[in-house]
Amino acid sequence: MKIRMSSIFKLIVVALLSLLIACSNDSSNSDDGSNVDENSNTGDNANDNQEQDEEVKVTFFNTSAEVNEIFENLFTEYQDLNPNVTVELIPTPVGGAQIEKFQSLLASGTPATVANLDAGTILQYKDKFLELESEREKYEELTKPGTVDRVMLDGKFLGVPWTSQGYGLLYNTRVVEEAIGGEFDPSTIRTRDDLESLFEEIDAAGTAPIIIHGADWSIGAHYSGLAYALQSKDINENLDFLQELKNGNVELSENAQFSGIMDTFDLLMEYNLRKDDPLVSDVNLDGADFANGESAFYFMGDWAWSIIGQLEGRDDEFGVIPVPISNNPDDYGNSQVAFSEPKLFAIDDTESTEAQQEVAKDLIEWMLTSEEGQTAIISEMGLNMPYTDLKAESSNVISNSVAEFADRGDIINIGVINHFPTDWWSNVGASMQKYLSNNIEREELFNEIEDYWESTK
Amino acid sequence: MRQNKKLKNFGTFLLFGGPTLFIFSAVIVIPFIFGLYLTFTNWSVATGDNTFVGLGNYVEVFTDDGFLTSFWFTIKYVIACLIFANLFAFFIALALTSKIKGQGLLRTGFFTPNLIGGIVLGYLWQILFSRVLPFLGDQYGWAMFEKSWLGDPDKAFWALVVATVWQLIGYLVIIYMAGFASVPKDVLEAASIDGANYFQGLRKIILPLSIPSIIICFFLTITRAFLAYDINLSLTDGGPYNSTQMVSYHIVQKAFLSNDYGAGQAEAIVLFLAVALIAITQTYILKKREVEA
Repeated sequence: MKIRMSSIFKLIVVALLSLLIACSNDSSNSDDGSNVDENSNTGDNANDNQEQDEEVKVTFFNTSAEVNEIFENLFTEYQDLNPNVTVELIPTPVGGAQIEKFQSLLASGTPATVANLDAGTILQYKDKFLELESEREKYEELTKPGTVDRVMLDGKFLGVPWTSQGYGLLYNTRVVEEAIGGEFDPSTIRTRDDLESLFEEIDAAGTAPIIIHGADWSIGAHYSGLAYALQSKDINENLDFLQELKNGNVELSENAQFSGIMDTFDLLMEYNLRKDDPLVSDVNLDGADFANGESAFYFMGDWAWSIIGQLEGRDDEFGVIPVPISNNPDDYGNSQVAFSEPKLFAIDDTESTEAQQEVAKDLIEWMLTSEEGQTAIISEMGLNMPYTDLKAESSNVISNSVAEFADRGDIINIGVINHFPTDWWSNVGASMQKYLSNNIEREELFNEIEDYWESTK
Repeated sequence: MRQNKKLKNFGTFLLFGGPTLFIFSAVIVIPFIFGLYLTFTNWSVATGDNTFVGLGNYVEVFTDDGFLTSFWFTIKYVIACLIFANLFAFFIALALTSKIKGQGLLRTGFFTPNLIGGIVLGYLWQILFSRVLPFLGDQYGWAMFEKSWLGDPDKAFWALVVATVWQLIGYLVIIYMAGFASVPKDVLEAASIDGANYFQGLRKIILPLSIPSIIICFFLTITRAFLAYDINLSLTDGGPYNSTQMVSYHIVQKAFLSNDYGAGQAEAIVLFLAVALIAITQTYILKKREVEA
């Protein structure tokens, strides 16, 4: 009996050890493999040869989970054009463990060649991605002015912008016009008082003026995030403000932008359709109620089209206006809408071979400049592209409205939030939710936000 | 000869135990050991940092207000689930074993929620709590349901309990029913001849003889409720304003959202020890009350 026990024990030890050895062998093998590849592939010409002769496989990690399928179809088309290339999609679930999956791929030494990530994530993992300095000039020409500057992360071009999004107060044209009894000119709303009198009119006509979507990402990241971006048009000054906040040198109650944005929030809260139950935050229901005219305004962005666009029997005309933050029409923010390139394509620089990186660059360029790629992004995904020579047209009337602001240069660069810690929106979002449901006063809200920043120092 | 037999035994063990052992090591033992190692470092994927920090992460566990709050919240949740799930399951099982009509159908009905995954179940109850019940509440003036339960921290807690209990009951009912079936009929008959009424029989005979089932059910409820994550994620998502973050949820947030893997992992180890301790103590105490018929 005793002998058998000990032999089982030995066996377990042996099994465990061999497993460990197997694991470590595996990673060293793949290292060797990539080294050989890199060696055989030095010089520019080598790449062209490679493309003709050798099979190259690249993987694509996608955090825009709602359009997994569209990307997959696009890759099939690319493979038809480039028979030696295989593109494999690594999908993530909608609203699921996306960043966890990205981290585990990276930690296990098998990162995706191309990753479609939030700009903030790329910044956080900046050492893991290829610097695309050589591509920068090309994209500066292809994109609308200012786009490449906005997506620079710590002075480096690490991710290629492919979609732009804007947000503000969306309006349902029919509802607003019925309430005011005439044509609605959105440029007349330049101050908080303008908005308030419009809300009063709409309310008197028997419609709810606005829906505030009570989720933490909406009121935390998007709404309260405006206050940081509005400090200055210069992102470096916004970053300085952030540093001061972390050092505990800022009294938010004395900050004009924070007070202004919260004064407007009070106004929105007063006229909120969801006033009685503000935290339910069902994005489908809120979108549908807005699109069907239950409320005149909706604090959201052009991405809401993915819900609104598919509804039957909805209204047709929508637009966006800025969130007014003061009563001086000339203040920064009163005539600008928040605008950013939230997702970027970045190329891995830890395990990928040079051949893979070259294919990745080519794939990205093809997706952004070819008719197939642009049709997929603009028409099928319903997204805005910050590019100049577009061969497809969008049915998303909200993003078209946002694009008018962008073309005039009337935008708020919210890039500063890319530099925020990843748990910021969740923490500040919770404080905003307490405020929205009347559980705390403004003083406590500001204290909680100040405390959060001081804790991140 | 003996050597040969030993080898043969070894071979047999390898044949049957080998694959299981390999999988067990690969997905449980090695990750556990590696996880334990992580708690002594401030490891991060982003920076590749891997400095040894000793017990620093464990100190952080007990100074992390979020962890302590979520732990206390989880304990309240476990207690509520333990009481309600077992109480309901016990009496439903009793009713189902009392030769009620349509027993098979009812048993299947009660068991079905258990087959629905926690995520789906959470979304299902989310729609019920935030849309269906408020609608009915409005229609019929039920003040209790006029507002979504998920918008209020206290009610959101009970929403979690209701959904969990609903899910757990079916499983527990089956275990209790099996337990009742093994209660010898002759003992019950003897008791009733001696003049014991139904409740005396229940208290003095059925209950003591069901202790083994109760142990299993308590153990299952405690461990499942302590480690609950999916229902927390899909039903309340930690909200409103992070007031319903259970400890597993907090750990995931800490590790992956706040990028604090070491501390998150240390919290997971503390949770593991706490759950193991509580589950063992509970089993030990109840075991002492076990009786033979």
